[in-house]
Amino acid sequence: MSPILSTSELSRHFGGVAALNLVSVAIEDKQVRSIIGPNGAGKTTLINAITGRLPVTSGTVTYLGQDITSWPIHDRVKRGLCRTFQITSVFKGLTAFENVRIARQAHKGGSLRLFASRGSLKQVTEDTWAILERVGLTDKALAPCSSLAHGDQRVLEVAIALAGGPRVLMLDEPAAGMSPTETDQVAKLISDLGREMAVVLVEHDMEMVMSISDRITVLHQGGIIAEGTPAEISDNEQVKDAYLGSEKWAPLVALD
Amino acid sequence: MAPAAGARKHNIKEALLFLAALGFMMALPMWLPNRFYIRLVNEIMIYGLLAMSLDVLLGYTGLLSFMHTSYLGIGAYITGLFLMHVAPGSLWLAILVAVAATMLVAWPVGWVQVRTGGLPFALLTLAFGMMYFTVAWKWYSLTGGDDGLMGMPRPDITFFGLTLASSGDSHAMYYFTLIVVAVCLLLTWRVIHSPLGAVLEAIRENEERAAFIGYDVRRYKLLGWMIACGLAAVSGSLFILYKGYVGPATMDAFAGAAVLMMVLLGGMGSLWGPFVGAAIFIFMQDYISTMTENWEIFVGAVVILLVLFMPKGVAGLGGLLSRGQKA
Repeated sequence: MSPILSTSELSRHFGGVAALNLVSVAIEDKQVRSIIGPNGAGKTTLINAITGRLPVTSGTVTYLGQDITSWPIHDRVKRGLCRTFQITSVFKGLTAFENVRIARQAHKGGSLRLFASRGSLKQVTEDTWAILERVGLTDKALAPCSSLAHGDQRVLEVAIALAGGPRVLMLDEPAAGMSPTETDQVAKLISDLGREMAVVLVEHDMEMVMSISDRITVLHQGGIIAEGTPAEISDNEQVKDAYLGSEKWAPLVALD
Repeated sequence: MAPAAGARKHNIKEALLFLAALGFMMALPMWLPNRFYIRLVNEIMIYGLLAMSLDVLLGYTGLLSFMHTSYLGIGAYITGLFLMHVAPGSLWLAILVAVAATMLVAWPVGWVQVRTGGLPFALLTLAFGMMYFTVAWKWYSLTGGDDGLMGMPRPDITFFGLTLASSGDSHAMYYFTLIVVAVCLLLTWRVIHSPLGAVLEAIRENEERAAFIGYDVRRYKLLGWMIACGLAAVSGSLFILYKGYVGPATMDAFAGAAVLMMVLLGGMGSLWGPFVGAAIFIFMQDYISTMTENWEIFVGAVVILLVLFMPKGVAGLGGLLSRGQKA
């Protein structure tokens, strides 16, 4: 099966520093692909380059068979390349419901209906409730987003991305700052989503990464140093070296 | 579902408030001592409409225009020129032409402006505003330069072929303005509460995220800009019909700042707030200018106090009372 999303020798330089250096990665459909690596390895830069938040210095991004390297952000999203952010990025002044609704509206259309009510987009409303239900935010749907707890805001991030009808869902540290219970719940959600679409996960929680990933790509200093199943990556000496050369590298990552 | 029911209740409340305000404005001329005050309230409605159109930009889309009064000016000049040189009796056509022509001017300007954001956007509105002002001021043969556009005919106010009154009559003009402004307010309310309004709000709240859920942010900003400029053009038509002339001073930086102050005084993001802001500003200006020529100093001082102690404007007070939420 050909990959749904791939990069070819993708590079991004900041001044003289290569944050990404000739990264070629292929993402398979209906799998969870985790991208790990020490801080500053280029994980978020890779997501930013793929989703169009950062222009690339060289290389290409191919998605659904098309070269999307220089596409505007909204065109990528419309084709189903959706993402969340490491630093929570939601519509703070709106309710959780409105946050998801506006994202669903972007996906379903109807934004140019100047003289209709928002509720007239019935399918959008229905889908919004279904998405909120799925991520477990139904009870908090009408609360202003700024009053939601941190963990709920992180989940809302995922809900907003889901509303975009993703074929590829890129999650940048979805569990950051979550309690262990919340992390378990979000891990279960991501694992389920990985059976419906391609999920690209950047995450520091190694327990979560090892338990839900189909494949793992390890970045170090802007380049790929290893790729494989969780079992292969756990045993990889080069990966251990990258993580401060420690035998017990997994716990050290949590200290980042 | 719960939000729909809540929204409906809120809508009914807003509709009742709107009808009460409309009724009050209909009856108001009976209590006003003379024509001077009728004209003053007329001016408040016109600037209220302009301030409301700026609120669409500032309060709903999150874009700052320093010189929104430019588009009142352009609308006024085009209305006047059309009535003078093309069709002296066609009031409605003049307004339509003014709105269309103003939007034609605003489109390429907006196209350039939305390619920037934040402060650069605001500075560009200032730069374009200076250019408009200079055209109005220096193109003597067309605009009358410093003297303003004089000698505009006073068309009759007609409704489907029925002649109602002359636009030169203060009472008639008052009611004409009231009805046009009320219709604009209703249309704007409808648009703000439409799916498009939701997109504009999303852009105001978080522009980057709006792009990352699939909106072409520039395109929607341009739409918001065009709506705001179209409404400003209507206020311009009303302005020249009410005043009988228009001069470059309506388009200068001072006038631009005044409209911005009206929005801030009344409170952003409420639509009705800017009307209250316009009333406060224009009454204050009128009252203080009878006492001193240097009225700007006092108006400035009052605005400073209000902004410092009422940062959300009058509309913010309303929210405070009805919801008891934090300021």
